[in-house]
Amino acid sequence: MKITKLFDKGKFVVTGEVGPIKGAVSRDWRVSPSCAQEAWHLQDHVHAVNVTDNQSAVMRLGSLAASVGLKQRGIEPIYQLTCRDRNRIALQSDLLTAYSLGIDNVLLLTGDHIQLGDHKEAKPVFDLDSVQLLAMARGLSQGHDITGNAIENPPDMAYGAVVNPNFVPLDLQLLKMRKKIDAGAEFFQSQAVYDDRVVDEFVEKATGFGRPVQMGVVVLKSPQMGAFMNNNVSGITVPDEWIDEIGSVDKSDRKKKAAEMMGRFIKKHKDKFQGVHIMPLGWTDIVPSILEKAEIDTTA
Amino acid sequence: MHATIQKPIDEIVSFIRPGEKVFVVGCNNCAWKCHSGGEEETAAMADRLKKRGVEVVGHTVPGPQGMSLCKLDHTRKVLQEDYGEQVAGADSFLVLGCGQGVHTVIDATDGGMVHPGCDTIFGGETVSESDIEEYCSLCGECVIEYTGGLCPMTLCSKQLLNGPCGGAERGMCEVDKERPCGWVLIYERLQKLGRLELLDPFQKPKNHAKWSRPRTLKVSPHEATFCSQAGKVTVSNRD
Ligand code: SF4
Ligand code: SF4
Repeated sequence: MKITKLFDKGKFVVTGEVGPIKGAVSRDWRVSPSCAQEAWHLQDHVHAVNVTDNQSAVMRLGSLAASVGLKQRGIEPIYQLTCRDRNRIALQSDLLTAYSLGIDNVLLLTGDHIQLGDHKEAKPVFDLDSVQLLAMARGLSQGHDITGNAIENPPDMAYGAVVNPNFVPLDLQLLKMRKKIDAGAEFFQSQAVYDDRVVDEFVEKATGFGRPVQMGVVVLKSPQMGAFMNNNVSGITVPDEWIDEIGSVDKSDRKKKAAEMMGRFIKKHKDKFQGVHIMPLGWTDIVPSILEKAEIDTTA
Repeated sequence: MHATIQKPIDEIVSFIRPGEKVFVVGCNNCAWKCHSGGEEETAAMADRLKKRGVEVVGHTVPGPQGMSLCKLDHTRKVLQEDYGEQVAGADSFLVLGCGQGVHTVIDATDGGMVHPGCDTIFGGETVSESDIEEYCSLCGECVIEYTGGLCPMTLCSKQLLNGPCGGAERGMCEVDKERPCGWVLIYERLQKLGRLELLDPFQKPKNHAKWSRPRTLKVSPHEATFCSQAGKVTVSNRD
């Protein structure tokens, strides 16, 4: 199901995220890959689950295979597709393939640079940027490829995009957001935010853009992870208060604490957004508790 | 200019077979500016090779300072006439210049065996005597009218044409925290110039056929023809 249908109904849309495994899926059907196990924790608590595309430029199982795997297990996937590793032929072909395999939601991104990953000597592709990718995807839905050639049985999927509220200068990021909307972005998921002021400045400026936005949150698991994100993860800043708070409890209590912190933050800001996108980085089991603390009921 | 950096000497020596007679050719323009193949470096290379047991039959940097090795007619004259005897006795040519210069030596010696003595790294601006910086990637379809003259194909690590990715932090690129995000530079420049509206239109994907290789340019005083996989484009410079 297209998640845009939920936005249209005025639902507060909750999505989670899993990263495909580094490896292949076993031929023995009794062995589920860890990403599927993670996704099961999310089932019945979120509306859909993003499946990342070689996230951080680390080579893994394809996002399409993992997305289809989730779909078969009854979990609605949001297939992430980046420009980093595919030229326009491969991107279009993958979009047609995705639709043909039953995918309804696609998140179209530029992708992290190869230098951030584990194959630093690979050739970066970036044939298109994310705005051009969105425009091309819309073209496919309208029945033609990027060169104008007609295609048979045009795909009909919901196309989402990302925006980073932490970006300075914010107006430059919003210019790109505006271009993404013009190119066909139907909904947005934001990069992880932790800072009240960042949220409020973004919301103030992006209100009126006319597209649903899900606030993005990355579950902070430890003070070390906060420091790591500040030093190594592009475009995210974790304030000291967050790092201190998660560090204030013993390791064994961190999941509980993280759920409490994330829930509190989401609750505080949820009314400013049309949904929330929770990136649990493996801790999918605490997502139900985060939602409970945030007073979000997805079954309603 | 074409920025070049010498290959490590051991790598260069490994190219040369025992008993091979080598003639060293430098370039008095770009490679001179890069200290990779000017007069001094070329003479020094001849000595460094001799010290390592290589038989060097001669060396030269064709022309005065500012003369490019890649000017074929001149290089041919120097190698075939001025250094005719040594060149005739050479089994191969070690070229201290860019890849264009290496090919120029093939042409100038009617197909002689060549060894690249440098890695050709980019086309750059000579910002100062010690700094050469890359501002253009020679894509064949220039888009910098709408970016205030700053090239997104070069200054943005992902070559994005419609604005930045989400990865910049404190104005620095996600790929390298020491290097400014090209899109922040573009934005700040256009803001200063009061021309931010230039960024509004959708920029279509590049025509990579114009960035195909190899490409040629035919020039005459009145017009030029650029030939790539995108076809031939002829432009007059007079009307
Ligand atoms: S757009 Fe192309 S031609 Fe223009 S500066 Fe950039 S790389 Fe060079
Ligand atoms: S941070 Fe800036 S320069 Fe680096 S890839 Fe992103 S937009 Fe390009």
